[in-house]
Amino acid sequence: MTARRIVVTSGKGGVGKTTTTANLGAALALRGKRVVLVDADIGLRNLDLVLGVEKRIVFDLVEVVEGRCQLRQALVRDKRFGESLAILPAAQTREKTAVTELQFADVVNNLAAMCDYVLIDSPAGIEHGFRNAIAGAAEAIVVCTPEVSAIRDADRVIGKLQERGLPMRLIVNRVRPEMVRTGEMMSVEDVCDILSAELLGIVPDDPEVIDTTNRGVPLVLDPAQRLGAIYTKIARRLEGEIIPFTQLGTGGFFGRLFEALRAG
Amino acid sequence: MIRAKAGGLEIAFSGRAFTDAYAELRERLDASPDFYRGSSATVVLGEVPSSEDLAQIASTLNEAGIEWDGAYGLDGGVAPLPKREPRRDIVLSDNARSLVADFEGARKDLAGRRQRGERRIAPPTLVAVTARAAPEPEPASAVLYHRGTLRGGQSLANVGHIVVVGDVNPGAELVAGGDIVVFGALRGVAHAGAQGDRSARVYALVLEPTQLRIATTIAAGAERAGAPVPEEAFLAESGDRIAIAPAGQPPHLKSTAEQL
Amino acid sequence: METQRVVNEPIESPQIEIHAPAAPVDTQKKAKTRGRAIVVTSGKGGVGKTTTTANLGVALAARGARVVLIDADVGLRNLDLVLGLESRVRFHVLDVLEGRTTLADALVRDKRVPSLYLLAAAQNREKDDVATDAMLALVEQLRGDFDYVLIDSPAGIEMGFKNAIAGADEAIVVCTPEVAAVRDVDRVVGLLGNRINAQLVVNRIRPALVRKGKMLSVQDVNAILRLPLLGVLGDAPDVIVSTNRGEPVALDEASATGAAYRAIAARIAGEDVAAPQASEPEGFLDKLGSFFGGRR
Repeated sequence: MTARRIVVTSGKGGVGKTTTTANLGAALALRGKRVVLVDADIGLRNLDLVLGVEKRIVFDLVEVVEGRCQLRQALVRDKRFGESLAILPAAQTREKTAVTELQFADVVNNLAAMCDYVLIDSPAGIEHGFRNAIAGAAEAIVVCTPEVSAIRDADRVIGKLQERGLPMRLIVNRVRPEMVRTGEMMSVEDVCDILSAELLGIVPDDPEVIDTTNRGVPLVLDPAQRLGAIYTKIARRLEGEIIPFTQLGTGGFFGRLFEALRAG
Repeated sequence: MIRAKAGGLEIAFSGRAFTDAYAELRERLDASPDFYRGSSATVVLGEVPSSEDLAQIASTLNEAGIEWDGAYGLDGGVAPLPKREPRRDIVLSDNARSLVADFEGARKDLAGRRQRGERRIAPPTLVAVTARAAPEPEPASAVLYHRGTLRGGQSLANVGHIVVVGDVNPGAELVAGGDIVVFGALRGVAHAGAQGDRSARVYALVLEPTQLRIATTIAAGAERAGAPVPEEAFLAESGDRIAIAPAGQPPHLKSTAEQL
Repeated sequence: METQRVVNEPIESPQIEIHAPAAPVDTQKKAKTRGRAIVVTSGKGGVGKTTTTANLGVALAARGARVVLIDADVGLRNLDLVLGLESRVRFHVLDVLEGRTTLADALVRDKRVPSLYLLAAAQNREKDDVATDAMLALVEQLRGDFDYVLIDSPAGIEMGFKNAIAGADEAIVVCTPEVAAVRDVDRVVGLLGNRINAQLVVNRIRPALVRKGKMLSVQDVNAILRLPLLGVLGDAPDVIVSTNRGEPVALDEASATGAAYRAIAARIAGEDVAAPQASEPEGFLDKLGSFFGGRR
C-alpha cells in the first residue's frame, strides 16, 4: 500500500500554498486518512508554524537525508489529530541545495510506505527548491489567486508540471465575490479558462485566516471558521467524490491578460 | 548491526543489552579488522550506557580505525556531539568574565573584587582542549561571545559556554556544551549542556524560546504571562523536566520555579 | 599618481614615503552622480515586493529623478505587468547580458512618467542562467546613468535572490503582519549582511483587525526585525485592481495608498516626512467585513 504523493505548488509566492497544504492535510486526517505533510521550503520553513508545531521540532528533512536521524524520529505528530497527521519539517539553517532531487524523492517514497497521503508544500518560484518538491510527487495541486501576476506564474508552473507528466488540478484561492461582481476581479471561470485546468476547489478570501495561521490552528478544527467546510469539500473531491462548486460571483473580466499571456 | 548510510556507518546498540551488542560488535570487527578502517560512524543507543561502556566503545572503534561522529538514542538518550568549532581567544569585559565564572555569584564576585581593591580582573586562562571522541563532558572553560542579534537561520555552536549580547530571533539556534547566556531576548532554540552536562543552564533577559534543550531533555516553549523578567532555565530535581525561575534567585527558593 | 616625500628631522629618523594618488577629475564627477542601488526583497512571496518596486519607482520618477527598475525574477516576471508595460517589452535582461541587444534598446520607457525606465526579466529562461558577476556589472553600469536603480527581487533565498542583491547597497524589506512573513524576512535580513543597509515597509496592515487583536501590529513586527521603519501601507482593494490593470496607484492622486507610496518615496529621497499611517473608514462598511478604503 503506497500513498498518493501530491505536491502543492503555485509559482507565485504568497497565494496560499502552505495554508492550503496544512488545511487540506488536516481535513483529510479528520476523515480518517493517515497524512504526512512535507515542508520542502528549506531555509524558509513555515509549514510547522501554520500548523502550530514549531516548538516541537527536533530533527528535520536535511538531517534525515544526511543520515543523522531516522525518518520516524523527524516526524512531528500533531496531537490534535491522533495518529493521523504528521509533518516532516524543513531545515531552517540550511539552503535548498542541501538536498538533491533524488534524495528528496527517496524520502517521499519512504514516507509513502507508511501513510495514505503525502502532501508536499513547495516553495515559491521555479528554482531548485521547486524542482525538489515535484521530484517526489505523482500528482500536483496548483494554487492560484484571481490576479494577473499569479495566473501568469501558475501558467509557467503548469508548463513545467506537464513537462514532467504530472497530472494537476487547480484551487482558486482568495476569491472576493463582491469584486468579481463589479468586474474588478477575475472570475473563477476566467482563471480556469486561461489556465486550461481542472478545478479542485474555490476558496473565498477571508482576512481572519491570517489570524488562524498566526496561531497555528487549522481551519477544520475551528467550528467558527466557515472555510473549514470548504477544505473538507476539497478533501472529499480529492478522494473522488463529485461535489458541485458553490457559485461565487458571476461574469468575467480578463482584459489585457489574454494578450499578455499570448505575448509572454 | 553495522549499516552503511549516507553520512557514514550506523552501529545499532538499541533494543538489547549492552554486553550482547558489544560482544557482537567486537566479533564483527575482529572478523574483518581492516574492513571499516577510515570510515566514520554514529552509534544508535537504546538506554544511555555508563561512561565505562562508552569508553569501551570508543577504544574499540579507535582500534578499528573508525572515527566516532556521534551517538543517538531512540529512547531520547544521548544527543549528538555538536560540530567542533575552532577555538577563539576572547577578551571579555570585567562583567562578562564574572558572568562566565558563576552567574549567581556575579554580583558578589564583583563586589568582593571591588572591596579587595582589584582594579582589573585577571583574564581567565582559556585552556585549549582538543575535542576527543571520548564521552566525558569536557571542562567548559572557553566561551563563545557574540555581540549582535542572531537572525532566523543563523546558528552558533561551541563546546564551552555561549554568551550573546543581543536577541536570538525565532529560527536561530544556539548549541553549547556549557551554559547559554543571552543578554537580550531568547526566542529561538537553545541547547545547553549539549554534550550531556545536566547542570547546564540557560539565562536570558527575556526567556521566550521556541524550544529549550538541556542535555538530553527537550521542552517546548511555554507562553509567558505578564511583563518579562530575566530568567534562567535548568533541569528540575526530578531530572526529566526543564524548570524556569527568575534569574539570580538563591537555590532554596527554586521550589517555586515554574515547571514546563 | 603623485608621490610625496616627507623627510623627518632629525636626519637620523627613517625617511617615510607617502603615496597619495590624486583622484582624477572624472571619477570625482562619477562619484557625485552615481545612483543608489536599492533591492526590494522579503523572502516570503506575495507580500508586495513587485507592487512596491513599481509604485516607488513611479513616485521617485514623478519627483524628477531618473529611475530604472530591474525585474530580477527570471522566469516568473511580473514587474512589466504591474506597470502595464508588458506589451512594449521587446528585449530582456539576458538579451543584454548575452550581447543580443544594447541596454538602450532593452530599456522600456514609461510614457506616463518620462524619467522611468524598465528592464524586464526573461520569461522563458531560468534564474541559473544569470551570473552574479554579470548582474553586478549591469547594476554598476546603470548606476552611472540613473539616480535610482530599483531591483525587484524574487521570493525565496535561492540563486534569484542572491543575484538580485548582488549589486545593491541598500534594501527595502517588505513584510506583512503575519508570523510566517516575519520569520522569512528575518532570515533575509540576516542574509543581507552588514554590507547592505535595510529599511522596513510593513504592508497590508488592517488597523481594525490589529485593534481586535486578530493581526500583528507594526510594533509586533518590528520587535523582531528591529529595522528602521520606512513606511506602513494598508490593505486596499484598489491596489489589486491597479496591478491587474497595470496602473500603479502612485499615479492616482485620489488614492490613499498612492499617497503613502509617494510619502515613502520622499523619505527615500531624504525628506523628513511624517510616517504614513494606514487609515481605514469605520462604521457600517467595517461591519460588512470588507475594506473599501483607498479612495479619499
